Amino acid sequence: MLEVLKNLWETSGFAQFFLDPDGWKSGIMILIAFALLYMAIKKQFEPLLLLPIAFGMLLTNLPWPGGGIFHPEWFEGDINWAALGGQYHDAAGNHIDPGLFDFLYIGVKMDIFPCLIFMAVGAMTDFGPLISRPSSFFMGAGAQFGISFAFVVACLLGFDPQGAASIGIIGGADGPTAIYLTSKLAPELLGAIAIAAYSYMALIPMIQPPVMKLLTTKKMRQVKMEQTRPVSKTEKICFPIIVTVVCVLILPSVAPLLGCLMLGNLFRESGVTDRLSDTAQNAMCNIVTIMLGTSVGATAVGARFLKLETIMIIGIGLAAFIFATVGGLIIGDIMYFLSKGKINPLIGAAGVSAVPMAARVASKVGQKENPSNFLLMHAMGPNVAGVIGSAVAAGILLTLFG
Amino acid sequence: MNPVIQLTVERGQHLTTAEMFMNAGIVILVVFGVLLLMYILISISGKIIQAITSIGSKKEKKAEPTPAAAPAAPAAAAPVSGEEFSSGALKLKNCDEKTAAMIMAIVADDTGIPLNELVFKSIKLVEKK
Repeated sequence: MLEVLKNLWETSGFAQFFLDPDGWKSGIMILIAFALLYMAIKKQFEPLLLLPIAFGMLLTNLPWPGGGIFHPEWFEGDINWAALGGQYHDAAGNHIDPGLFDFLYIGVKMDIFPCLIFMAVGAMTDFGPLISRPSSFFMGAGAQFGISFAFVVACLLGFDPQGAASIGIIGGADGPTAIYLTSKLAPELLGAIAIAAYSYMALIPMIQPPVMKLLTTKKMRQVKMEQTRPVSKTEKICFPIIVTVVCVLILPSVAPLLGCLMLGNLFRESGVTDRLSDTAQNAMCNIVTIMLGTSVGATAVGARFLKLETIMIIGIGLAAFIFATVGGLIIGDIMYFLSKGKINPLIGAAGVSAVPMAARVASKVGQKENPSNFLLMHAMGPNVAGVIGSAVAAGILLTLFG
Repeated sequence: MNPVIQLTVERGQHLTTAEMFMNAGIVILVVFGVLLLMYILISISGKIIQAITSIGSKKEKKAEPTPAAAPAAPAAAAPVSGEEFSSGALKLKNCDEKTAAMIMAIVADDTGIPLNELVFKSIKLVEKK
C-alpha cells in the first residue's frame, strides 16, 4: 500500500518539482507566468501577446510525462530534424517524443512567424503621415540610438557580440524584429529577450512620459502642429515599392522582414486586394500571434531562463528603451529649433516603433499640456519610421554578426 | 553577406572596447544613412507624383467643353463648378449651419483627416432624456 502511494507520488508532477534538481526553477517560472497572466488579463498590458506568452511559459514549465512539451536543446544551432521525427533517446536511453511546441517553434526558428506578423503590421499601417512629412524619418532613426547604447552596455557586461546585438534590438521596441534577429544570432536568449521586449512595450505609458518631460520644455510640449498635406493614392502605392527596393538593395539580410511589411502595406493600399489585406490584418495575424506567443513563451524553460543573464537582459532592455526615447526626443528637439517651433518634439519619442502605443503616449502627453492639441496623426509618422528604422538596424546587426 | 563590412565575429568571441563603439557607431550611422536616402526618395517621388497629378487635372479641365449657354446665365456657372467637389448632401436636424461647421472642423482636427476627405451624412441634435 505504502509502495503504491510512493509510486503514485514519484510519478506525479508535484514530485518533479522536488526530485528534479531544476524543479524549483520551474516552480518559480510558473509563478512568473501567473504574474504575467495577471498583468495581461487584469491590467491589460499588451494582452494579445502577453497572454499567449504567459500561457506558453506555464505549459512548458509544468512537468510532462515522456520528456516535456518543448525541447529547446533541439534548436541550438541547426534544427535536430531526427528528434522532431521521433528518433531521439536521452542519455539513459529513454525514447523522447517531440511536443507540440517543438513543432510550433519551427515557425520561429525559420523566421516564418515574425515575417508574417510584419505582413499583418504592414496591412494595418497607414504610412500617409510619414509620406506627407518625410522628415519624420529622422526621428525614427534617432530612436534607434537605444540599440547602439544597449549593444555597448551588453558587450561591457560580458555578452558576446551576437548576444549583445540581440539584447540591443530590444531598444528598437519591435517584437517581431527582436525575435527575428535573436533567433538568428543568439537563440538561447530568445525567451528572455522576447519577454523583455513585449513587457517594456506594454510599459511604454510608464517609461516614456518622465523622459519626455525631462527633455522638453512646457512651451515645446504645447506646440500645435499644422495639418500635413493630403497624400494621394499613387504615393501610398509607390511608398512600399520604393522602401523595399532601396532597403533590400542596401541590406539584403533584412529582405524577408521588410519585404513582408511592405507587401502587407501594398495589399492595403493597392485597393485591388481587399480580401488579402483583410486576411493579413485579422485572421492570419490572430493565428500567427497565438502560435508565436505560445512558442516564444515556451522557450522560457526554468532551468535555462532563471540565470543572472536574464536579469541583466531585462535591465539592459529597460535602459535601451529609455535611451531610444532619448534619441528620438533629441532629434525632435533639433527639429523644433530648425522648424522655428513648428514641430512638437514630443512626436520624436514615438520613433521607438511600438505602433501605435508610442504615438498614443506622445499625443496624450501633448494633450495634457494643451487640451486642444491633437498630436496622434503627427506622431504616427515617426512611429512607422521607427518600424523601418529598427528593421534596418536588425539588418545591419545581422550583416555584422550573422 | 556583404564582404566589405563583414567582421566575422565567432560566437563566444569578445570585442575590444574600440570595436564595441565602432560597431555601435556603424549601426546608428547606417540607420541614419538609409533613412536619409528614404527621406530624399520619398520627398522627390512625392513632388513628381504631385506634379504629374496636377498636370493631369489641368489637362482634364481643358478638355471639358465650355457650356454654350454661358452668356445667357453667367450666375449659374459658379454653383455648377462647386458641385464637382461635393461629398453629397448633409442633412441637419435641429442643428444650425454654424454649429454643424464647428462639429465638422472638430472631427477633422481630432481624426487628422482633411475636411475635404471626410463625408458627413447627417448631424442631428440628440437631447438628453
